[in-house]
Amino acid sequence: MHELGIAGSVLEAVRERASRESARIVRVGVRIGPLAGVDRNSLSFCFDAMVKGSEFEPLTLEVEDGASDELALTFLDLEDS
Amino acid sequence: MTTTRVPMERKVLSENDRLAADLRARFRDNGVFCLNLISSPGSGKTSLLERTLAAFDPGRRVAVLTGDIQTDCDAVRLARFGFPVKQITTAGCCHLDGRMIERALADWDLAAIDLLFIENVGNLVCPTSYDLGEHAKVVTLSVTEGEEKPLKYPGIFFKAELMLLNKIDLLPYVPFNVDMARRNAETVHPGIQILEISCTTGQGVDAWLQWIEARSVSSRAASS
Repeated sequence: MHELGIAGSVLEAVRERASRESARIVRVGVRIGPLAGVDRNSLSFCFDAMVKGSEFEPLTLEVEDGASDELALTFLDLEDS
Repeated sequence: MTTTRVPMERKVLSENDRLAADLRARFRDNGVFCLNLISSPGSGKTSLLERTLAAFDPGRRVAVLTGDIQTDCDAVRLARFGFPVKQITTAGCCHLDGRMIERALADWDLAAIDLLFIENVGNLVCPTSYDLGEHAKVVTLSVTEGEEKPLKYPGIFFKAELMLLNKIDLLPYVPFNVDMARRNAETVHPGIQILEISCTTGQGVDAWLQWIEARSVSSRAASS
């Protein structure tokens, strides 16, 4: 169950970027390879649990399939109000 | 309200990778050869280290970091051999990461160590994702676990340079197909090196010790 730690690392990257952006970050993309040892459902569950009630709301996670042991951040969606 | 997509190609664990790169540089600068030992709980990582440390001369500059969720049982077992041993207790965390290794090494003089074993938390999944700056990952699979493990947990068998097939003294008593286990490992990782050992009888331990010597020589040659 290290998906909690992985979700935390994704949120750290979002936080770091958010500090340099005026727009709100509403979505973050992650690509997971079959050999990365990370379960996407478990990651989504942990991610949503950490976001709920936090400064990150209403941030959502989008997971796509990657190659090999890849575990990468792919994009951020910024919303200008 | 407009939404803009910003591409962001970077590893999720880039912070751990940065720490691991620092550790790798320190190992190189101090001539430390480091192995990261990974297996499921009870496969025999600690018994393997007992056999290994028992085979070394007292003057051998070897040290061990051993990770567990709780207790210092393993460190107590391994300290009997007289080499520096430190327990890393993760308090619930299912793997070791670069930060834990950095902290554990803070009061050790790396220049006085030639060979460092890191015994990871017993787990075939999570430790796979965390680079600790090691030269190689070694996965242990015991014959009581079943020959399909490499297919069920491909990540670690893909990343490990060497698979130790442990507890082979039990082969007469358990339904384990060695050829199939080897085939499964090679399916996930063509070219993976495999040694059959028994930490109970000592069978195959010499080949493991020779592997360590040969691999540490090749890593030194590569870094000089």
